[in-house]
Amino acid sequence: MNLGARRMATAKSDEEAFEALFTAEYARVVGIANRVLADPHEAEDVAQDVFIDFHRLHSASAQYAPAWLHRAAAHASLNRLRGARRRQKREVAQAMEEGERAVDPQKQLEVSEDRRHVRQALGRLAPKPAAALAMRASGLSYAEVAQALGVGIGQVGTLLRRAEAALRKEVTRGTSN
Amino acid sequence: MAHLTEGTLRRMVDDPDARSGADAAHLEGCPECQAQFKVVSADARSIATLLAVPEARVDVGRSFERVMQHRKSQPALVRFPILRPSARPLTLAFVAAIAAGALVVMAFTFAGLFFKPTTVKAVPVTVADMQALSELSNYGTLAWTKEPQLQATTSAADASAAAGGLSLPTVAKLPDGVSTTVTYGGMSEAVATFTFSADKAAASAAAQGKTLPKMPTGMDGATLTLTVGPAVGEVYGNLQKPGSATNDINLPQLIVVKSASPTAKSTQVSVTDLENFILAQPGISAELKAAIQAIGDPSTTLLIPVPIQYATSTQVTIQGSDGVALGDNTGVGAGVVWVKDGYVYVVVGSIKRDDAVTIANNLK
Repeated sequence: MNLGARRMATAKSDEEAFEALFTAEYARVVGIANRVLADPHEAEDVAQDVFIDFHRLHSASAQYAPAWLHRAAAHASLNRLRGARRRQKREVAQAMEEGERAVDPQKQLEVSEDRRHVRQALGRLAPKPAAALAMRASGLSYAEVAQALGVGIGQVGTLLRRAEAALRKEVTRGTSN
Repeated sequence: MAHLTEGTLRRMVDDPDARSGADAAHLEGCPECQAQFKVVSADARSIATLLAVPEARVDVGRSFERVMQHRKSQPALVRFPILRPSARPLTLAFVAAIAAGALVVMAFTFAGLFFKPTTVKAVPVTVADMQALSELSNYGTLAWTKEPQLQATTSAADASAAAGGLSLPTVAKLPDGVSTTVTYGGMSEAVATFTFSADKAAASAAAQGKTLPKMPTGMDGATLTLTVGPAVGEVYGNLQKPGSATNDINLPQLIVVKSASPTAKSTQVSVTDLENFILAQPGISAELKAAIQAIGDPSTTLLIPVPIQYATSTQVTIQGSDGVALGDNTGVGAGVVWVKDGYVYVVVGSIKRDDAVTIANNLK
């Protein structure tokens, strides 16, 4: 292989590595964000931002790539959840969407209301347990959650337990208010 | 054997790997742990129900195309998340200048303009110059080989620990009006590698309708390894605006940072070759070129780019070392940067320049 061909191969393999990473992880990254936001469209927005950020500064063949993406997806979506602007926008959009649905609008409204309520509570948790909860609920293994959060695998159970107790408390508090 | 912790029990609910060994054997024979296990698994189940959402259906191929299109239309690296139209414009202009400055310092570092700085010099730059430099990522691949770990802490000791034991500078006396509320921060040493790519550089020049300047021999595939930090800092001011959304923060009143001087190593090409090549990129003004060439030995000088429309700079002496003071005495914003004994120090904030110099001179 001459020098020019080798250069082409390197550039090509960079792009290929990123595409492979994207193909392997995109649905999982969306899954984490969707678990936090309960909104597939917004979850895709977050996931795409996360990949763009990653690609700007990191090599797709880096060993830490999946863990980085998972952590960034959890944190970015939790940040969005906490934004006041988003909540207002969501409420308007949800009301419109629910108005358009023909199937049992009352039930739909209740489901959406519950989901919104749980998300608000999730947004009030400390970032690490909240991220652990979202990652595990979206199907990441204990080992993957541990890697993404930079903790030992033994700590994941403790984080989850703490997050579940805190979320239950927040949800109850929100309901009684 | 002591009873199982709640964390261990929680993991046994849904991690197949945890359902064997001594813990599993203990659970088998311990009614108390079994009772607790029931509580923990019931909680886990009910939370899972609460968090249930309809699965998102994704079109990976189309999403990939969108991401690639977005990436190509963006000049990478420069982003000012702190800039929002609603905030105070003057202070923001200054912060933007500092933020842009920091990014340009990074860009120059990756370009290999200096190796281990022992002194600082200010360079006036235009926004166009900065934008041109931010596109350096179009000339190669930048990857962290050791990611910086940033940690905000409430105690100086924790910040120091996060920065591998680097001691925090102490401000002798705060100027009037600066809040005593302080947040500490520590950053571990980070190592990044930039690899030049002839193909990327050529493609990028072609996209702008320009021809790439002739590459020095050995430039393709040349790497620059940059080490930054460890660093510690103190941020004074109540950052959280009372009663506002969490993404709306107050600007800090005073920031004091101490960082190990950045160092860089290159392979295949010399510093001078890199300097000349970067300066010959399309879009860099003749003024910047002249200013950089006038500075002298780039391997010992830390360049502090000052956007000409935002701030003025003066050479000052801080604790016997050369430094650069930015800003003015209106109190809108000012800063001082100097290098001493292998460390870069920064004092910056919404304070008067004279106050910044006084703090710098009395920093311990």
